[in-house]
Amino acid sequence: MSGASNAAAMVAALSSAAAGFTALSLAMDRHWEALHGCGNVPRDGQRRLLRWAGSGGLLISLLVCLVVWGAAQGWVAWAGVLTASAFALVLTLCYAAHAIVRIGWAAAFVSVVALAAVLSLLR
Amino acid sequence: MKESLRQSMAWLHTWSGLLVGWVLFMVFSCGTASYFRDEITLWMKPELHQSSHAVVEQGVAAAQIQNLLQQRAPASPRWFITMPTGREPAVRASWAPPPSGEEGQPRGRRRFENASIDPLTGQELSAARATRGGDFFYRMHFDMHYMPVLWARWIVGICAMFMLVAIISGIVTHKRIFKDFFTFRPGKGQRSWLDAHNATAVLALPYHLMITYTGLVTLMFMYLPQGLGAVYKDSDAFFADLNGGPRVEAKASGLSAPLTPLAPLVAKGSQLWDGASVGRIMVSHAGDSAATVTLTQQDGHGVSNNLPSLTFDGVTGGLLTEADKSGAAVETRGVMYGLHIGRFASPLLRGLFFLSGLAGCAMVATGVLLWAVKERPKHVKANANGRIGFGLRLVDGLNLGGIAGLLIAMSVYFWANRLLPPGLGGRPDLEIHCFFTAWGIAAVAALAFPQRWMWRIQLAVAGVLFALLLPLNPLTGGAGLFTSVAQGLWPVAGFDLVSLLIGCGLLWASRGLGSAAKAPLKARLAKVAA
Repeated sequence: MSGASNAAAMVAALSSAAAGFTALSLAMDRHWEALHGCGNVPRDGQRRLLRWAGSGGLLISLLVCLVVWGAAQGWVAWAGVLTASAFALVLTLCYAAHAIVRIGWAAAFVSVVALAAVLSLLR
Repeated sequence: MKESLRQSMAWLHTWSGLLVGWVLFMVFSCGTASYFRDEITLWMKPELHQSSHAVVEQGVAAAQIQNLLQQRAPASPRWFITMPTGREPAVRASWAPPPSGEEGQPRGRRRFENASIDPLTGQELSAARATRGGDFFYRMHFDMHYMPVLWARWIVGICAMFMLVAIISGIVTHKRIFKDFFTFRPGKGQRSWLDAHNATAVLALPYHLMITYTGLVTLMFMYLPQGLGAVYKDSDAFFADLNGGPRVEAKASGLSAPLTPLAPLVAKGSQLWDGASVGRIMVSHAGDSAATVTLTQQDGHGVSNNLPSLTFDGVTGGLLTEADKSGAAVETRGVMYGLHIGRFASPLLRGLFFLSGLAGCAMVATGVLLWAVKERPKHVKANANGRIGFGLRLVDGLNLGGIAGLLIAMSVYFWANRLLPPGLGGRPDLEIHCFFTAWGIAAVAALAFPQRWMWRIQLAVAGVLFALLLPLNPLTGGAGLFTSVAQGLWPVAGFDLVSLLIGCGLLWASRGLGSAAKAPLKARLAKVAA
């Protein structure tokens, strides 16, 4: 395993988990309200979409960890990735809530680029 | 007791956490630092910052160190060689001195000699200053200091059991794990402390459970040693039995025969392990016809701490034995041990472990602080003149001395490493005395004045000391940040940058305490009372 593919995999896992957590947080009333104003709630369809997208992001980060680091180290790495990305999201929601959607999209974009890098490096 | 389960768990969580919180904070802080034990040690030996850091083929490194050992230690019964890694670029060797013939000399009392060489040139590296380096933090986190090791391990073991109880009762008592998952509301007094405690606990929960449980498992043979003592005369025999190692040390034959070159054996071992590198080499009775060479695999190819090993004949180079596959129980313990110390982890994964460890420190710190924050209004209400009771005052003092004081002590340890003269006798112990002296002074000051201004002073002192390690490094012979980044000396650059970050964080905290103090105290008390 080269250093470059290790780093690319870490970036991919962290960014897809961060994007996933962002979507999951927006599916919660409290964080949706912080963005869209008091009393505003996501429509049922929106909420479902956010939850599916969020779970998908977390699942992708798990797959990256398992494929790149193997089953034994992959689960350990995933736990660490979830912790780090959730902390990043908590700080963002606290200090830059207005930018949360943009940050979520940015994380998703970084994750796509890093996934492409991982795939090309693994081949 | 007519309380609900959740209420009784809340009681259990409060007291199991508070009683051992200060010890746990030390264990978490020193343990977290131990993830970068090798890097800390390298930083604390500035003499080694200049050596080459080229990656060298393992066979070359093995040949170089064999050359040196055959000149320096031909009669030694045992050589131990540590192969270079990305974290530690030098080849290190240590060897037992030749037996002096005195029988009954206690084992382990004989002084091992050691040397490290540049794997590329074979040149011996100038002797670095004597220091315990990062090993001090590693030992401190379960052996403590100034006390018998067994007692310390019992204390740490009991505290870890309290910790496990606190974690599990905390999960039961926390009603809103998922609702408050991403929530942190700063600037709201007790609410904010609780949010911070919840976030650091919940978001790193897998890590906290893992590290506490595996920590208990690593010390499991020490809790009730009487059973072992009844069957085995000494614990070495027990561990040899457990790990399937040789029980009796092979005797030298007395006939001399040249030692086989190590380089081909290293290549053979690596081939048998599907390309995994060799981490350690042990040579017994080099130059004797009964010589053996044992290779142990390098960390990083699994999670378990039980690393595979191979034993070769030291004269012919033939493969003698492959260490027996260990049983399921031993292997389970190996995996838990491996998870706890995380030596398998690549630098990035190690960074995640470090981050989770910091979350653990923050969880313990916010927990003990939260107790004081919750308790204070009761005291203020009971006493009109604002005097607080002994228990709260004691907890305040211990919080200050145990948290800010420890941070000061850790930074003073690094300063002592650089400021004490390199040739001083007993240097490693002096560095450690400096650590405890600084901690002692901070703790006395904290217990005498457990007030907000003392928090500001102590956090600021620790912050300044940590932040200024960056310029101190090049000023006292180490590689400065520009040099270390340019040369790719990441362990040193990383140490400097992380200390700068920690220092700035502490200074920021100290500043924040000042601005919060400006809000009139009475107004806040009125809000609490309302």
